[in-house]
Amino acid sequence: MTSVPLVSVFSADDSSKVTAKHIPLPAVFQTPIRPDIVSFVHTNIAKNRRQAHAVNPQAGMQHSAESWGTGRAVARIPRVSGSGTHRSGQAAFGNQCRKGRMSLPIKVWRRWHRRVNIKQKRHAAATAVAATGIVPLVLARGHRISQVPQIPLVVEDKIESYEKTTDALNFLKRFGAFEDVQKVVSTKVVRAGISKQRGKKYRVRKGPLVVYFNENAKLLKAFRNVPGVEVVNVTRLNLLQLAPGGQLGRFVIWTQSAFAHLDKLFGTYRYTSIIKDGYQLLRPLITNPDLARIINSNQVQEKVQPAKTTKVLHEVQKKNPLKNSKAMDRLNPYAKKQRAAAVAAIKANTKGTKKIKKNKALKKASRAAYNKVAASLNDATKAAVQEEQDIKVKYFSVQKGAAQTE
Amino acid sequence: MSQKKPQMQVEQKVPENIVKKTARDTKLREAVAKRRTERLAANKTRRAQWEKNAQAYENEYKAADKSLIDNIRKAKSEGGFYVPAESKLILVVRIRGINTLNPQVRQTLRLLKLRQLHNAAFVRVNKATIEMIRKVEPYVTYGYPSRAVIKNLIYKRGYAKINGQRIPITNNNVIEQQLGKVGIHSIEDLIHEIVTVGPNFKEANRFLWAFKLRGPRGGFIAKRKSFINQGDWGNREDLINDLVKRMI
Repeated sequence: MTSVPLVSVFSADDSSKVTAKHIPLPAVFQTPIRPDIVSFVHTNIAKNRRQAHAVNPQAGMQHSAESWGTGRAVARIPRVSGSGTHRSGQAAFGNQCRKGRMSLPIKVWRRWHRRVNIKQKRHAAATAVAATGIVPLVLARGHRISQVPQIPLVVEDKIESYEKTTDALNFLKRFGAFEDVQKVVSTKVVRAGISKQRGKKYRVRKGPLVVYFNENAKLLKAFRNVPGVEVVNVTRLNLLQLAPGGQLGRFVIWTQSAFAHLDKLFGTYRYTSIIKDGYQLLRPLITNPDLARIINSNQVQEKVQPAKTTKVLHEVQKKNPLKNSKAMDRLNPYAKKQRAAAVAAIKANTKGTKKIKKNKALKKASRAAYNKVAASLNDATKAAVQEEQDIKVKYFSVQKGAAQTE
Repeated sequence: MSQKKPQMQVEQKVPENIVKKTARDTKLREAVAKRRTERLAANKTRRAQWEKNAQAYENEYKAADKSLIDNIRKAKSEGGFYVPAESKLILVVRIRGINTLNPQVRQTLRLLKLRQLHNAAFVRVNKATIEMIRKVEPYVTYGYPSRAVIKNLIYKRGYAKINGQRIPITNNNVIEQQLGKVGIHSIEDLIHEIVTVGPNFKEANRFLWAFKLRGPRGGFIAKRKSFINQGDWGNREDLINDLVKRMI
């Protein structure tokens, strides 16, 4: 790589003035971003600040409770001995019992702390530092850096001599970092849960992290009371501060000497670190991140097969060719002619025949004929019909009479 | 963020990636367009051939019908009888379900492609197949299909077996792909092969999946009895056509 990313150092008094132009970025900012390492190291390191606690070993066990055994129509759980009080005969000792001891009571000799390999810790720290130089990561972490002139923000060493908080505040305002501080202030909330009664009343967000170098710097006191701001010496960079919650991308304000010290601290890709004895920065898995270029390169494109097309052998839906003429023509182009020929044949057969119309004359004639037939019924049939009618009349008249008499 | 920028030229340079990609894309597009024109031209000649074949078959069928009628008339006029050749083709329809089957019968039905109730399949007539059908006679009904029934079966219920899959015969590519090498290129070719039991009948019939018919409208008479005994199973010769018309 012939071109090296460059960084400007800003004047502490005036954010538009640059005291040193084009300082090369320390190699640690080039390490590959490994959120997996950071998350692993963070979850373990975060456990190291824990203080041992335990439940009272006697809790729930200060009874002479004994099980009543079987045969007394009660559960076999140990029961409080004695009499004369509600408590007697109640269940005791079990984790399921009221006033019983918890299951697996916490012991002080629980393994509170975790050790992590030094190399992993160093890789995590390096990645976290690299992430502080990547704007999208810092934004994603939630810092308000839209007005900050440069990420990573490097300022001249003058701020290390700030003693007054007003100086610190004005400095932050000048560099657009005050928005982040305001965020911290406005989102301070009372903590949910019982910890608020145990000295952790408020949940406060993280603001900028100021990193200095000189040991006798006074800026700690100046920045101490600004909500959200943390101050740390570059030799004591802490993953818990660089990636709070395991989340990469803390907003960091570097002093010039702290920034320059990073190369000695983490080493470069040419030289291992002096301070972290023998530590070599992680090398990236691929050296050329330009995937588009790799894919479109001649070497790759020569070997690549043409893109597969979904070759459809048959139509998605089967249509019945006997009913659907389009489907039929697709299969048998001769069918069209056959259909036309069939229609022509019908036309040829019906040539000369008139269309059948309702013939009123015919209808009248047929009706007359029918009546004639009806009239010429032979006498036997007539007599039978007459007899039937007589019976009907008789029946009805009898009914009438019956109704009247009754 | 503040990198050292060299003195930039004013002229716009197209990135190498894009130049390469556009060159590749145009080449691919041209190839596709060329393939398409070739395919369309080939399709045109193919369709002309299908039409020609279909017409030839129609004439052949008409001639066959005519010759049958002529022979009958001729025989009658001479005072004799014309006995047409026995059918070379049988259509077998399975009329019994899958439960409680004799294993030999089960296997034979499977060999005949009749794995399911109301499945129908074409079978060539020879000693071997006659014996097979005799074995499964009480479970099937069979007869000699007419040309119209064969045509309707293949058009409406025709599916192909391609790579072990049941593919509908919606276009002639389906047929061309599998049977092109034995000279069957269109559906009319296929129907002709089945009807005449041609030299490639084996391939043509193997290409066809068993016809999955519906139950006959109007029902069976009595599947427990043979057709001869006023039932349904066994040989019903030409009357298979009436049954299958109700099942298509």
